Amino acid sequence: MDRIRVVMAKPGLDSHYRGIMVVSRHLVRHGMEVVYLGNQLPEQIVQTVLAEDADVLGLSSLSGNHLALVPPVLQGLRAVGADDVPVLLGGIVPAEDADLLRAQGVSEVFGPGTDLTSIVRMIRELVARREGALAVVPLP
Amino acid sequence: MTEPAFTDSGLPVEPCYGPADLPAAHDAERPGQAPFTRGIRPGMYRERPWAIRQLAGYSTADHTNRRLRMLLDSGATAINTVFDFPTNRGYDSDEAIARADAGQGGVAIDSVEDMLALYDGIPLDRVSVSLVLSHPVAAGAVFALYLAAAERRGYRFGDLRGTLQNDFMMETVVLTAPSVLEPGFSFQLSTDVVEFCLQQVPRWNAISYAGYNYREAGADAVHEVALVVAHAVATAEEMVRRGHPVDSFAGRLTAFFSADNDFFEEIAKYRAARRVYARIFGERLKAAEARSLMLRYHVQTAGSALTAQQPLNNIARAAYQGLAAVLGGAQSLHISAYDEALSIPSEQAALTALHTQLILRHETGVDRTADPLAGSYYVEHLTAEIDRRVTGLLEQIDAMGGLVAAVDQGWVHQQLLGRAYERQLELDAGSRTLVGVNRFQDEDEPLRIEPFRVPATIEAQRRRLARLRAARDRDRVRSALEEVRAAAVAGRNTMPGLLDAARAGATLGECCEVFRDLYGGWRQPLIG
Repeated sequence: MDRIRVVMAKPGLDSHYRGIMVVSRHLVRHGMEVVYLGNQLPEQIVQTVLAEDADVLGLSSLSGNHLALVPPVLQGLRAVGADDVPVLLGGIVPAEDADLLRAQGVSEVFGPGTDLTSIVRMIRELVARREGALAVVPLP
Repeated sequence: MTEPAFTDSGLPVEPCYGPADLPAAHDAERPGQAPFTRGIRPGMYRERPWAIRQLAGYSTADHTNRRLRMLLDSGATAINTVFDFPTNRGYDSDEAIARADAGQGGVAIDSVEDMLALYDGIPLDRVSVSLVLSHPVAAGAVFALYLAAAERRGYRFGDLRGTLQNDFMMETVVLTAPSVLEPGFSFQLSTDVVEFCLQQVPRWNAISYAGYNYREAGADAVHEVALVVAHAVATAEEMVRRGHPVDSFAGRLTAFFSADNDFFEEIAKYRAARRVYARIFGERLKAAEARSLMLRYHVQTAGSALTAQQPLNNIARAAYQGLAAVLGGAQSLHISAYDEALSIPSEQAALTALHTQLILRHETGVDRTADPLAGSYYVEHLTAEIDRRVTGLLEQIDAMGGLVAAVDQGWVHQQLLGRAYERQLELDAGSRTLVGVNRFQDEDEPLRIEPFRVPATIEAQRRRLARLRAARDRDRVRSALEEVRAAAVAGRNTMPGLLDAARAGATLGECCEVFRDLYGGWRQPLIG
């Protein structure tokens, strides 16, 4: 299996990078490749997921912009047929917002207090599941 | 045998300390005398109590104005305004990149009109106003909006009292933005404000070195102090290069520290910071006046120490941290609210934090005598050890060519990120305890705190911006912005141009775009 490729981004102007960089560093230590985008709008994030052929998209939001900016990312991925790329969200997201975003297609929301091991485990599971699904779908 | 023990910043701790651990010089130290280890005034809080300065800011200027007045009416003695993400990074609320963050994490300010609404009814000559506007790309421009608004209300610049954060490391190291200014230019913009205040706003603290935020990004207590002092040295050397004697401006340089969990280490940190600062400003920068040697600072209890789990525990954490700040001799304090790991503070949480300060001030009696822990074997030992380690780091930064070069090379980023990562590994491994997070977790349904919801902001800002753009003299705005650009290119002070732009009704985004266009797009060296 190739190295798992993760695109990491901060939507909008949220500027706290400690969380996303700590997670990125851990993913790299555990054999994954991380493309860190910094602050981007949803359209640019979707374009990068395609261009980088990402296995997973990681978003980080601590500013309160998650309800405004995460759904457009999910819609954008659907519009380009990339909605099978799992989307993970980390940061400060109230529980009811997390439920809402999971219902719209976010695979998991990681709040304060999450340990790094569970993030690595989740990414590996999601990628394995997606590759299993891809294996039975004939390519066009 | 006892296991080896260490402070949060890795200083070894013995099971017991005694007279042999006291540094020789401590006996001669007095509060109010250089090197000010024991505090900047002989009588400390008996002479001047610390300022109760609770941070506030969300949504529109009108919403925040109400919150500021509530805090003042409830016992706060000074104001601390935090700005939203677009304002700190210098974007107008209605720009595409900004809309979703307008009013988030602080108040949205686009023009002089917002600034008028923000401080409406607050006497700007009597209340000290801290503007937590950190990024130099926008700090000078927002300060110009503040000055233009104050001027319209009839104040003279000389009457205004307060602090601007204005820290180039916030822009280039601590936080991200879509287009970061080159460190050298960001630093020059911050020095422009220092120079302008020296000449025109003499009671204003033009810069506040954000050690707090270095800490939040990952620094330990030793790095926090070293980076603050290295930063002050950089400003001072640049001001001297611009032709200003050190004693003319040094008294207006201030700092902002964290109060984190390690109680005695934090107290020793403040004492050591004052001692190192006074020594460097005296011996290296040859400052002669006492005020130039004094490190004056605001403290905020650590946001990163707050937990989303068992949120009411945060009231206890912040109270201990606030106590450390006061035992360490802070000039001004913000105690963080218990719900800040979940949202910006609700009214109830903000008031509880304020009341925690009032209890500290009026019930505990800790303010009766200066530096009550002086002479403690342990605290004096920690103070000396932090001083020694900070001095070592300062030599390392000097060897790299100073702080701006250390930032440019990515050294500071790697120091902070490396420690942030190590700390997370310690939490995951359980070698560091966080109550409610990695030990003593709730087995039952956790207490749910209703997160504070920021009222919709963008439509109100759009309307205000539309009104402003229709009413202003476009030629006047254009020529003011051209002057800002010309000054930036020529290396002249950018503040006079920014002030004219503010008076003419230029928006914050228009001013900051000039800087980004010239010196933006610096890639932060975050990946190690």
